[in-house]
Amino acid sequence: MREMASEMKSSSNRASGTDWKRTPKTRRVLVGSLLAVFLAGVVFFALAWRPSIAPVARPVPGSFPADLVAKGEALSAIGHCAACHTAPGGQPFAGGYALHTPFGIIYGNNISPDPATGIGAWSPEAFTRAMREGVARDGSHLLPAFPYYAFTQLSDDDIKALYAYLMTRPAASNTVPANTIPAPLRIRALQEGWKILFFRSARFRPNPSKSAEWNRGAYLANALGDCSGCHTPRNVLGGEEGGHPYAGWLIEGWIAPALTDTNPSPVPWTQQELFTYLRTGVTPLHGATGSTMALAIRGALDLPVVPDSDVRAISLYFGEMDRASARANNGEAATQEALASSSLGSVQEHDPDADLYASACMSCHYNRAPTPLAARPELALNSSLSLPEPTNFIQVVLNGVSNTETDNNTEGAAGLVMPAYGSSLTNSEVARLAAYLRRTRTKSPPWNDLEKKVASIRREGPAYH
Amino acid sequence: MTTFDLNGRTVSARSPDDTPLLWVIRDELGLTGTKFGCGIGFCGACTVHVEGRATRSCITPVGAVAGARVTTIEGLDPQGKHPLQTAWLELQVPQCGYCQSGQIMQAATLLKDFPNPTDQDINAVMAGSVCRCMTYVRIRKAIKLAAAKMQGGAHE
Amino acid sequence: MNSGLSPHGFRAPYDTSRRGFLITMIGAGVMLGYARSGLAAVESLTKETKAPLSPNELFEPTIWYGIDTNGVVTVNILRAEMGQHVGTALARIVADELEADWSKVKIVIVDSDPKWGLMITGGSWSVWQSFSVLSRSGAAGRIALIEEGAKLLGVSPKACTARKGAVHAGERSILYGDIVARGDLRRGYTNEELEKIPIKTRADRRFIGRDTAHSLDIPSKVNGSGRYGLDAAIDGMIYARPKIPPTRYDSKVIAIDDSAARCIPGYIKSLALDDPSGTNPGWVMVYADTFTAANQATDFVKVKWESGPSANVSERNLQQRAAELIADPKGGALLVDDPGVDAAFASAKRKIERTYTTATAMHFALEPINALAFEKNGVFEIHTGNQWQSAILPILAKALGRSQDKIVMRSYLLGGAFGRRLDGDYAVGAALAAKAVGRPVKMVCTRADDMRFDCPRSATTQVVRLAWGDDNRIAAMDHHAAAGWPTATIAPYFQGKDAKGNLYDPFAIQGADHWYTVGLQRVRALNNELADRTFRPGYLRSVSAGWTNWAVESFMDEVAHAAGIDSVKFRLSLLDATGRNAGLAPNSIGGAHRQAAVLSRCAQKAGWGSAMPKDVGLGIASTFGQERGMPTWVACAARVRVNRTNGYVTVEKMNIVIDCGTVIHPDSAEAQVEGAALWGLSLALHEGTEFVNGQPKDTNLDSYRVLRMGDVPEIDVEFLSSIETPVGLGEPAVTPIAPAISNAIFAATGARVRHLPIRPQAVLQALARES
Repeated sequence: MREMASEMKSSSNRASGTDWKRTPKTRRVLVGSLLAVFLAGVVFFALAWRPSIAPVARPVPGSFPADLVAKGEALSAIGHCAACHTAPGGQPFAGGYALHTPFGIIYGNNISPDPATGIGAWSPEAFTRAMREGVARDGSHLLPAFPYYAFTQLSDDDIKALYAYLMTRPAASNTVPANTIPAPLRIRALQEGWKILFFRSARFRPNPSKSAEWNRGAYLANALGDCSGCHTPRNVLGGEEGGHPYAGWLIEGWIAPALTDTNPSPVPWTQQELFTYLRTGVTPLHGATGSTMALAIRGALDLPVVPDSDVRAISLYFGEMDRASARANNGEAATQEALASSSLGSVQEHDPDADLYASACMSCHYNRAPTPLAARPELALNSSLSLPEPTNFIQVVLNGVSNTETDNNTEGAAGLVMPAYGSSLTNSEVARLAAYLRRTRTKSPPWNDLEKKVASIRREGPAYH
Repeated sequence: MTTFDLNGRTVSARSPDDTPLLWVIRDELGLTGTKFGCGIGFCGACTVHVEGRATRSCITPVGAVAGARVTTIEGLDPQGKHPLQTAWLELQVPQCGYCQSGQIMQAATLLKDFPNPTDQDINAVMAGSVCRCMTYVRIRKAIKLAAAKMQGGAHE
Repeated sequence: MNSGLSPHGFRAPYDTSRRGFLITMIGAGVMLGYARSGLAAVESLTKETKAPLSPNELFEPTIWYGIDTNGVVTVNILRAEMGQHVGTALARIVADELEADWSKVKIVIVDSDPKWGLMITGGSWSVWQSFSVLSRSGAAGRIALIEEGAKLLGVSPKACTARKGAVHAGERSILYGDIVARGDLRRGYTNEELEKIPIKTRADRRFIGRDTAHSLDIPSKVNGSGRYGLDAAIDGMIYARPKIPPTRYDSKVIAIDDSAARCIPGYIKSLALDDPSGTNPGWVMVYADTFTAANQATDFVKVKWESGPSANVSERNLQQRAAELIADPKGGALLVDDPGVDAAFASAKRKIERTYTTATAMHFALEPINALAFEKNGVFEIHTGNQWQSAILPILAKALGRSQDKIVMRSYLLGGAFGRRLDGDYAVGAALAAKAVGRPVKMVCTRADDMRFDCPRSATTQVVRLAWGDDNRIAAMDHHAAAGWPTATIAPYFQGKDAKGNLYDPFAIQGADHWYTVGLQRVRALNNELADRTFRPGYLRSVSAGWTNWAVESFMDEVAHAAGIDSVKFRLSLLDATGRNAGLAPNSIGGAHRQAAVLSRCAQKAGWGSAMPKDVGLGIASTFGQERGMPTWVACAARVRVNRTNGYVTVEKMNIVIDCGTVIHPDSAEAQVEGAALWGLSLALHEGTEFVNGQPKDTNLDSYRVLRMGDVPEIDVEFLSSIETPVGLGEPAVTPIAPAISNAIFAATGARVRHLPIRPQAVLQALARES
């Protein structure tokens, strides 16, 4: 539901890009949902029933081999499980992270091995069923905020490792607040409708024409990382559009850019660039991470427990997807072109838009040729300026980027803090800044209706905070 | 309540998370070397370092620096003898002095990123640091002097 | 010309008659200075007093210094430190004659006290006013120290010399501190005796004219330890931010609704202030435990005001009113009023008339106005940086309903002033805020508050005319200037009077009374009273000289071109130092010839007359600042590139030549000139706003453009060598910049701009007119 909810929020309130048309309105979504409810409730109700699996005594932590636990730890990091299952400042996996949706708040469950409030009473079978079918031990359906539709592809061994890792965590007695999703959407049995429409239980199948590393990357990205959860477009009911995998989407108020060759970053995302980015949250040629992507990197892919080889494999997979090697020689030219424009506005200009940039932004974002610095995100190379919509640019300008080390509040790359200009700049000034940078730092066509878009994003308050 | 490191000591701020870092540093923690100029991040008088990088504290909420290292002019060098500070003294840069803490903190990041700064580097990185006494000529000279000192291995 | 431009005694050098010079022992040290009266000097030496009088009771507070038994020399400074290192400059004058050890010289910036007489820092007067008396007081100390040192060494004073804080006799020496501890330094000098003490010649000076000794205030400005007004704090204080009313005057609070503010943690309350002095009518103060809370709450508090009549005044209204005043031949004050000007124009063969305007300009001192106020032991203390305590103390007394001796202003470093802090209106707001709640209140304005509450440089309009006579000689010149008058608002008792008794603000006309010999001359000052009613016109760095010279020097360029004469040659021909332009010893000795000297040197250095690339031009201007009574002669040649497509003006280089008499500290002097010249550049190309509905339109840096690092051109500053009386330095270099740039734009393109600041749009329009 994380994805679906976000999609509904975005499609109802946000102006989105060429591929993300504004057409679906909340009303349509509701009608669609009610239809789904109807279908699920009346025609398929019986299909929705799942048995409860008997509780077990919490497994003794010492009963799991250490290497299995270690493997599970790395997998958990790549799957960034802690992100949704840990409250800000709370004990890891004790649940309580609040996902805000237009329908209400969905709280991440307690998946620590506490028998009463967590999953301590879950047998391996119950855990496996939850991961692969989206059904809790007691037989109730889980909301697709939990990406079982991806985890269904996980191998038996990896599910075992994850089980071992979670069962060896400290138990936390923590009852997560009830979701505030209203009826009928909260009727869990009705999730069967969504499953029938969008869910297929199936294991990962390697592509024999690809290398082992590529297949490892594809497996981690699709089965565990759920990268498509943010980066693949959704239909009105929140199902992934099979025809456009990784074509980019709007999630929690941010654009998750396309990971295909339609990605508009001036410098292609090569395996090496992706590796650096996924490992540290920042690269000199692309800039720093923000929004929910930071959750997938900080306290996750950047952890030492995650092997370099796995991050490289993910990077190879997406590096091939965006055909970086075919475009790689554009990178150097794009970089030099970007740096040639980096000092624009620093000397005796009389352009009020350039003045805004020089006063507020340049001291941190200027770079000198030939190499941009990672600590100075080069805006001419940053996708926030080259995306079809100014969403990400506006989000960052208004709300800044913070550096809290609490996992669930992690926002950008480690040590990079950006002040929030929301109280400094009027909507019209943010719009002028966006237009100026788009005009002088990219070759892309001007953005439309900038001031309205700024106002709309400002009205909604900081997304993901 | 936000905990962070200020000039090498761990501090906890009582102020709400959305309080600008500037006022926490000045009014709650009592370090007044960091100044309030425009309040919108356009003049640089409030510049401090967060994790070693110049940051405008007047529009940075204190909650955004939880767990981070924050350095003010008072903590730039334990003896107040950072090469920039000695260059500033040598060339008698300050006039009213109000902006100079921010200028020095911004210049420190400049030299970290560009140890041999060109005039263009100085123009761009110092663009957001206003000096109303217009000591710009000397600021530029002092940055170059400090760069030369640091190249000589005097500091860091 | 009326060289004693104004009768205001406050700008005269210290009157040293009827006083004596006193050296007396106080505690563990010796105090030296001008006594409050000659009688006091004698009495204190003859009377055996067990409890010594305090220095404040004995001495003119402006001129005394002390030496303790460690030899530390502490110089009392009554001037505000706002970037000019004034304390250091004044201490150097004392230390030079005293032969002090600079490492042992300290300065103390004193707090206000009505009995101390006039406290003002402005007009670039500080050094000029103090040079002679401070030199003599240093010399008197040195002589006494040598006499006592000789006794202690058992030699004749004639065998002794003083150097670096010690008296030397051959191989032997004794430190000043030891002389203070062991000798009897008590002396009294009559004024006549003091006048006979010779002061050093240039060759003997150790500090003056040399770059020895760094400024004493600078170390605290690179390590964050300097205390500015914003840093003032006292236990138990609360914070307040004002809600600035819609009009500067006559706003009345109808209702305050703070319901939305009550959700801000730490918010205390909002009060309408009652101001018996009428300084800040209609202010509502929002109180909270922290500044952040006060700041947020202020945005939530809704106040309904009844606005004053200036609620709809626009910049255009202000300029229109100025033009109307000038069009009416009656009114105003005539600073220069040669008979026959009208007749000369009536019979002139050729005439030229031009109108020059400037936009409202803001101070934007980087430290927003603020003050801490509280009552302690029956005295109301106001902690804030201020330039003119003497002007605001009587107003504070009226506002608080107490006598001036129960109010003290504690001094702090000023985070920029540029004239803003000559008007102490903000101190009134803070004092009333504290009085209203009966506890210490720290009032801090945001930048937007500071801008809306600024006392800006008024928009100005000037019409300048010139008539040629039969023989193609200049027959007459007529200059009319209309502006808001700061002095009329802030200190009306300091206004000047013309021959017919009409009042005028000297700081809203000086500069128009130039040193060119132009036949019959008339200079008329007009008060734009609509400006005075809409805002409090302020003094802004270089005051009227910053805009009257814009007109005079643009006009001289236009006249030279109209006459087909090289504009440098043309100016030099008029700077003949005859008649009223001959100059008066000591301050303006040499007269117009000194202006000619800086102009010639500047033209030579800048390569005047050499070929320039396409769309590049050299423009020149020469001026005097701040006033005819104490002229600092300046010339600027600006090399400018004009982009004909977008109208951008790029200043590539500024050559500045200056003659300010004796230079006390060359390095500091150069810093002041660089700063002033760039201030001039900022005002020429960038700084300006407009009044909209009775308020300045731009309230922060997102739209108020100021000079930044990358805007700084190459600058070359040269001081002409001089041993004449030192005059002012903080402002004069502002004055030639704008006309030099405008003249350069003309030289580059043939397009003439006549409004400040010079915006690209105006350049494009001028280019379009030209083609």
